[in-house]
Amino acid sequence: MRTSRRSGAVGAIAIAVALLASACGGGSGDGPTVTIGSTNFGEQLILGEIYAQVLEAEGYTVERRFNLGDRDIVAPALRDGEIDLMVEYTGSLLTYEGGTPSSDSDATYAALIAALGPQELSALDYGPAQDKNGLVVTAETAQALGLATVSDLAAHNGTLIFGGPPECPERPLCLPGYEEVYGLEFADFLPLDVGGPLTVAALAGGDIDVALLFTSDGVIAARGLVLLEDDMGLQPAENIVPVLRQEVIDAHGQDFVDLINRVSALITTAELRELNKRYGIDAVDAEVLAREWLQANGFVD
Amino acid sequence: MIDFLGEVVSWFGDNWWGPTGIVWRSRQHFELSGAALITAAVLAMPPAAWLGHRGRGTGLVTALVNAGRAIPTFGIVALALPITIRIADVVPWMSSGIGFPAIYVALVALALPPLFIHTHTGILSVSTDVVEAATGLGMTPRQILQRIELPLAVPVIMTGIRVTAVQVVATAPLGALVAHNALGRFIIDGFAVRDSVRVFAGAVLVAAAALLTDAVFGAVERRLTPRTRSESATRRSGVRNTTAVG
Repeated sequence: MRTSRRSGAVGAIAIAVALLASACGGGSGDGPTVTIGSTNFGEQLILGEIYAQVLEAEGYTVERRFNLGDRDIVAPALRDGEIDLMVEYTGSLLTYEGGTPSSDSDATYAALIAALGPQELSALDYGPAQDKNGLVVTAETAQALGLATVSDLAAHNGTLIFGGPPECPERPLCLPGYEEVYGLEFADFLPLDVGGPLTVAALAGGDIDVALLFTSDGVIAARGLVLLEDDMGLQPAENIVPVLRQEVIDAHGQDFVDLINRVSALITTAELRELNKRYGIDAVDAEVLAREWLQANGFVD
Repeated sequence: MIDFLGEVVSWFGDNWWGPTGIVWRSRQHFELSGAALITAAVLAMPPAAWLGHRGRGTGLVTALVNAGRAIPTFGIVALALPITIRIADVVPWMSSGIGFPAIYVALVALALPPLFIHTHTGILSVSTDVVEAATGLGMTPRQILQRIELPLAVPVIMTGIRVTAVQVVATAPLGALVAHNALGRFIIDGFAVRDSVRVFAGAVLVAAAALLTDAVFGAVERRLTPRTRSESATRRSGVRNTTAVG
């Protein structure tokens, strides 16, 4: 019958088109493929996009696997080969690998290299931009309770509600760290998100008194929030550092490494803050932000 | 495997009390589900009953079925969040707009279509003979709806309520994504720290809540379903397997 043959042909063409389309998807260039992964907050998406686009401009095929989850999910994915590259933070990664970071960027980086050792993972050069955990309060709270440093919070132990990422109670540089180093005791902990809209809304709305945000967060300045000074130095140096599997570095050669290092060297904390602010407050896409940054720094046209 | 189950059992031993415990979070879970279910029932059932009585609205019912099934609750939660945050900026008694408001909206949206459809279909399916007979007896349309159609439609309507309630209870864990403190927290927080015991326990709790809801509403359904005269006659005479003699 004409109808069934025609619909059969249409179906076959549709399937063929779909297969072709899926084969063509995922990155431009016909060079070697690099899979870039990221954890689940805006800054990671922006940084991931920056490295992805600069590699694509050099002819690599980049597969993006962003927003996978927290470090507990992404770090194993890197070791298993599901992703090739991720952007990490020297202090936190060193802590995760069992080491002890300090506030000195060089020393922390050297310790990280030593901790990663001759196993599968390798860190490239670290960049000047840092992103540390920070405790943030509203301007009203800071004024009412006389808060300028984290130590000032100890005077209000047992009365304040703290909010942050759900994994905060189990991270040494988060709640346990503040309890141990500063002797802080919060009345309650609210699991929210990773420096995202839930945390900011909860802080602004008064559901929490103290929020865990990040020092490179644009929302702190934009909303007039107060970042409490880490006067006892709990938070170590947290320079951005691309981490890859050694075999990927060997496969792609020195040009690949040089390119990534050139990019890392130019990202400063101030620039990162500005990018975060435009992402979080002005709602500009990570892809657009990355392209503009690369254009401004002469990596792409 | 046995070790894992052992850990789950001991987890259940330790986590009943406090604001992060099973009791508190179950209460929040059922309060949210109940609020959403009641809101959706109030919004959907009266118009559905009236439309069913009038014999109208079948096109609307079909559209609702398709739309309701197509829109993912997850999506509605994500869409509702920025709106509830904005609303909270203006409304004084709402603090941040996260948590309850966003998931409540999404669950009401989830519950509206099935409640509407079951009520409408239940009323619509009451035999026209019966309605005609009632009209012949001189009953007003309102009396017909209240005294004839609704009681006859109760089985279908109650099934609708039961099915919707279970769906709402089973979907309410999504609230943890927007900082609501109910049973979904065990799953979401457990996932964030890779604590599979907590995730598993959370899943067990949600499943138990859904089954409990089903059992409770099922019992109510059985109590409310009016027995026909033939069934009553069968019971009184003690005869078991007769067909309806009327």
